[in-house]
Amino acid sequence: MAADEVRVAIKLGFSSGDITLIATAISELARNILSYARQGEILLRTVDGSNRTGILIVASDEGPGISDIRQALRDGFSTSGSLGMGLPGVRRLMDEFEITSEPMHGTTVKVKKWKQ
Amino acid sequence: MSDESISVIRIRDVLLVTMPADPDDTTVAALQERTLEAMDLHDVRGLVLDLSKVEILDSYFARTVAETAQMVGLMGGETIIAGMSPAVAITATELGVTLGKTRTALTIDRALDLISKPGDGTRPRREP
Repeated sequence: MAADEVRVAIKLGFSSGDITLIATAISELARNILSYARQGEILLRTVDGSNRTGILIVASDEGPGISDIRQALRDGFSTSGSLGMGLPGVRRLMDEFEITSEPMHGTTVKVKKWKQ
Repeated sequence: MSDESISVIRIRDVLLVTMPADPDDTTVAALQERTLEAMDLHDVRGLVLDLSKVEILDSYFARTVAETAQMVGLMGGETIIAGMSPAVAITATELGVTLGKTRTALTIDRALDLISKPGDGTRPRREP
């Protein structure tokens, strides 16, 4: 499933440890989309900081949205019957985490990981 | 694809279950079925779940492993997880996944040693 994403991360020169981390985060984001919105998309892009390179992952869907983002980012909270480690877990795996959501319109999660 | 499927072999009275590097959800789901079937078929003490090839252990995979270990426990067998790579261990910890009370070992050899010795008396327990 994550083979293509892994190729992007390898090309950027991430360490194998970071690649595992990035691929796992992408897997969790994809699971979130599947369990809440059924369909959506995940885009990967390289980002250039002032003196560093990283990967930007944008997971977006047009699902039901999240009414209480603060609650969704709490460990163990889930409305889909999963373990509820998705979003807080992804946040811990990545360097930057941003989420916007509008009830009834969907959710977008943007995360970045910088190359060490 | 054979390299993406689960291998189950019996060595004496232990099952050695090996997961492929990047199993899809169908393969992960098959872990439970294949393992319990094999437990039913063979008179074994338990199983060593070899995760040394695994590159990604996400929450679904981890939950399936923990649940499978619990089911094997109910059937009277023990599960020992072996060979998790440093990157997978780091990622799983940061992600927040747990494997319940399932015992672990660095290598398959060590897992085989462990499984022939009595445990600490506790059964694998489902995390709340």
